[in-house]
Amino acid sequence: MRGMLAVLKSDVDDILRSKGFLIIAIILGVVTIGAAVGINIPLSRWLNHGLPWNKAKPLLELFMGLAVNYMPLIVLYTFMATWATDPIAREKARGTLESLLATPLTAKAVWMGKSLAIFLPAYIISILSTLVVVLAMNFASILPATGHFVLPLPTAVTGFLFLPLLMFALISLGVLVSFITNPVIGQTIIIFIGVVLLNLVGQVGGRIIWLLPSWDYAFYNLAGAALLGTVALRISSSLTKEKIVLSSKGRWAQ
Amino acid sequence: MPVMSDPITLEVVSKRLGEREVLKSVSFAVKTGDVFGYLGPNGAGKTTTIRILLGLLELTSGKANILGEDVSRDEARRKVGFALEQDGLYENKTAWENLSYYAWIYEVAESAERIDKVLDLVGLQDRANDRVGTYSKGMKQRLALARAMIHDPELLILDEPTSGVDPSGQREVREVILNMAHGEGKTIFLSSHNLDEVQRICNRIALIDRGEIKLCGELEQLQQEMSNREVVIETAEITSEPLFAELKSIPRLGLQEGRGRSLIFVPQEGVKVPEIVSFLVGRGVGIEGVSRKKASLEEIYATILEKAELS
Repeated sequence: MRGMLAVLKSDVDDILRSKGFLIIAIILGVVTIGAAVGINIPLSRWLNHGLPWNKAKPLLELFMGLAVNYMPLIVLYTFMATWATDPIAREKARGTLESLLATPLTAKAVWMGKSLAIFLPAYIISILSTLVVVLAMNFASILPATGHFVLPLPTAVTGFLFLPLLMFALISLGVLVSFITNPVIGQTIIIFIGVVLLNLVGQVGGRIIWLLPSWDYAFYNLAGAALLGTVALRISSSLTKEKIVLSSKGRWAQ
Repeated sequence: MPVMSDPITLEVVSKRLGEREVLKSVSFAVKTGDVFGYLGPNGAGKTTTIRILLGLLELTSGKANILGEDVSRDEARRKVGFALEQDGLYENKTAWENLSYYAWIYEVAESAERIDKVLDLVGLQDRANDRVGTYSKGMKQRLALARAMIHDPELLILDEPTSGVDPSGQREVREVILNMAHGEGKTIFLSSHNLDEVQRICNRIALIDRGEIKLCGELEQLQQEMSNREVVIETAEITSEPLFAELKSIPRLGLQEGRGRSLIFVPQEGVKVPEIVSFLVGRGVGIEGVSRKKASLEEIYATILEKAELS
């Protein structure tokens, strides 16, 4: 556990100190402000029509469902696509990963430490971004017009917990694949599944839109996280230092 | 004969990678206090052996222990320090941060003091807060040695510690290794191409070629055993022409040449040095000294590899 925390801390330090992180954080800050402002303009106009609360509530919950699902998805996906496997490719090339594995650390501790290091900064930013949008929608438009604060519990659980859990399972799978094969393959898996998830939210929004603020949708995310997590754990049962070392030397087909 | 308490024991270790058998029934032991040189040409199996010892590769067959523990156990590496051929240092971190990271991994108590101590040991305390990316190759190797020492291990495993380092850097690295061995009392296992370096710092060696151990033992003893039987006898005066001709006429004495007051013999099997000395004394020659030339490590290395090539 202590060794895993050492890997986590060192990698988080690296990520936070990098220019890439700063650039992505600035871009996401701009996107968050844009989303907060952009979503409030039509929302305010729509609320000004004076719809009764019982009719406005489901529509507002739907709006909130879209915001609270899309924001963490976009933030986490951006980080994953940028950070998940490139540092591992560099560590393999420079021999830092091999040195790390020559210590008493287990291969799984290194894998988990590195996966968490990518996930945690992204998760914190996703929570902050989503909170900014949620608070802006409520305090700028919804509260003044209706006197109610809108954030359905299933939506909050999905956006702040289950969806990030799903993304963490995807990151850990991508990092694992990068460990034992070529990191490009890990990156491809992350991008492909990430695009599918982005589209799924779009599909849900377009066709079964009422599902977004429901517990059903929350549990779909949890089930997705469980599925990807199980795949990652299944693969990790055969994770060995030898596989990682040989893959670093381009012998991952062994 | 390997003993369980030896810091490193390999017993009939084989390793197959795909179709290729990289190690073939390798056996040797490193004793406590040894500075053990592991020699061999490129691709001989040196790095594979080191990776097995560090748990980075699994054995195909055989048995390998470090400090009495099976190498497959991650805990076995708690008392082992290492420096691999690729230094494995984080170039975007400072020397201090690199060491601090490993101090955390090894759960080093009072790590700040320990980091100061190992930086002092390798002479890098002045550059502790500089990024490793700004270091020379020699400095990086010294820092890798400091990292190997961070948890005060009993055993150090070093893979080509002076590879790619310039001559002055090599000398610095060598001094650090000698200090670790004799000043800190560590057992050291090091692989190297640099025969001169091994001859200077190692007391025992093993020579591996194409995955097989060709030679293993005390360096001093091997040098005696492998000496080319060349005997140099210093005489009181320059040998006269008739005596020189007489010596030449007795092939079993093996006179090779005379250089000033030195006579150089390579006696045939069964001829003892005192016999030659008696012969000379019997002819009124004063003897000032007798010495036998030891084989250099380079000669041993070349002889063994030539034999392997021929077989």
